[in-house]
Amino acid sequence: MTSTSLISAKDLTKHYGDVHALDGLTCDVAPGVVGFVGANGAGKTTFLRILLGLLESTSGTASVLGFDIASQALEVRKVVGYMPEHDCLPLDVSATEFVSHMGEMSGLPFTAARERAAEMLRHVGLHEERYRLIGSYSTGMKQRVKLAQALVHDPRLLLLDEPTNGLDPEGRDEMLELVERTGRSFGISLLLTSHLLGEIERVCETVIAIDAGKLQYFGGVSAFTNRTQVLMVDTDDELPEFAAKLRARGLDVDGAGVRLRVALKDDATYDVVRDVAAELNAPLARMELERHRLEELFVTRSG
Amino acid sequence: MASTIYDLGYQRYDGARLGRGYSFRTLWWYSVKAAFGSGRGEQARRVPILVAAITFLPALVQVGVASASGMINFISYGNYLEFASYAIALFVAAQAAELLVNDKQNGTLALYLSRPIGATDYALAKLAALTTATVVIVMGPQLLLFLGRVFLPDKPWTAFKEEWMKLLPIVGGSLLVSFFFAAIALALSSFAMRRAFASASVIAFFLLTPALYAVADTITTGALRRWVVMINPVLVVSGYSKWLFELEASRRSVVGRADLPGQAYFWVVLGASLVASGVLLSRYRKNET
Repeated sequence: MTSTSLISAKDLTKHYGDVHALDGLTCDVAPGVVGFVGANGAGKTTFLRILLGLLESTSGTASVLGFDIASQALEVRKVVGYMPEHDCLPLDVSATEFVSHMGEMSGLPFTAARERAAEMLRHVGLHEERYRLIGSYSTGMKQRVKLAQALVHDPRLLLLDEPTNGLDPEGRDEMLELVERTGRSFGISLLLTSHLLGEIERVCETVIAIDAGKLQYFGGVSAFTNRTQVLMVDTDDELPEFAAKLRARGLDVDGAGVRLRVALKDDATYDVVRDVAAELNAPLARMELERHRLEELFVTRSG
Repeated sequence: MASTIYDLGYQRYDGARLGRGYSFRTLWWYSVKAAFGSGRGEQARRVPILVAAITFLPALVQVGVASASGMINFISYGNYLEFASYAIALFVAAQAAELLVNDKQNGTLALYLSRPIGATDYALAKLAALTTATVVIVMGPQLLLFLGRVFLPDKPWTAFKEEWMKLLPIVGGSLLVSFFFAAIALALSSFAMRRAFASASVIAFFLLTPALYAVADTITTGALRRWVVMINPVLVVSGYSKWLFELEASRRSVVGRADLPGQAYFWVVLGASLVASGVLLSRYRKNET
């Protein structure tokens, strides 16, 4: 636990009756763009809310940017911006009024808060519409206001809870680009939760994966995705000896019939599959990386 | 390209960052403005305008009549708070929901509580804001009456010297009565998840307590019967304002018949306000949404 760490948690546990939303989570995260993945209900939101002091942990400790979450909650909240997953905007005020009010709530003097609000709304692409009532905004625009209010006081750490939720593919893309830009170019550390691995892969450097409140993985994002990648190999005809030969060459092979699933160790795996196919003169129809859903990743690891 | 616009946008901020007291004042003032529908749609201003009309109109009429007829004594403060009670109840019923339940219903409470203020600060700022807004509604008309009594006579200075002592009960009474109504309305609203339920519970409280009083009045006797007026918030406010302005309650009125020491009303108003504030704060004891 060093003062330079972004987030440091030790045995962090939260129980709701019999449900273990967090179960002895321990991690020490360095500043940067961090992804926090887990299936819905895995405890991601609970973790963020505990860091902000919006929830009390059942046991364990944590600190954010060196501030203890229990004894220095106000200090934590000064340097953190939070974008919740759920709706959190009043509908009968304008975006500019609301965002600058939130800036003032974080201690910015009136004029500075107005200026920052205008800048942030431009940053998220709402400059033209900033005087309209929030109630008249689309889901995508509301997500942008949520991001703007989290940024208005220039936090050192941004906690984004499923920022792409409810957006169409185009909106998702734009939001991720915005998040990426904020994290990469402006030196603000980010903790981004998502149940979609693709989003985390795209934006983050480090990933924390949890399932049922337990830490499953913590480290570089490429190592995380590589070790769980699977190559799908389709052949036109059923070739039982194909799978057998691949296994003989040391590969982990699943499935039977025309579709085999081969665990991808490194790039050499492709060569092995090619060589075996050539050897058997197998009619290869398709060979591609399988897109994983998170649930499968966890099953693969524990099984 | 949209992206070129974004590039201009983000700049670091290294200016002043003010403390917790500033955040508290920010929330207080923002909520006072919200209570009068400032910066919001026309709908948000309906109740404040209606209530202001109800409370200011009699003051305007009194001053107008006194001015036309020259009968300065036509103007009196003593019954003002009692008269305004139901209008004040309507105001706090609507605006407690606006200030407190809106944030819960919209989810905005989570944003407030992730800012550098505590949940207790939040609740206190809302209580201070609704009290302030109610003071405007309650004290405004009385100040108007005061100005009428000072400036309508031929010698305003002499009138002022006779009248200025009345400022004390006007200000003190308005503050405490506003606190009383605001605290009760917020305490009740803190249990509601939706605005309509909050308003309904506050209105029900101010309608049902007089009904409860009426029942209690018929089934009790003697000394106990005198004290049951304390169940009825409107009578409590009435007794309190009579004591403040040193008026003799009419023998035929309920408060007159009860013949309780005037101070008792003061203690009941203060006690009820503090209990209600305690309930409100206990609802926001934890920083959890």
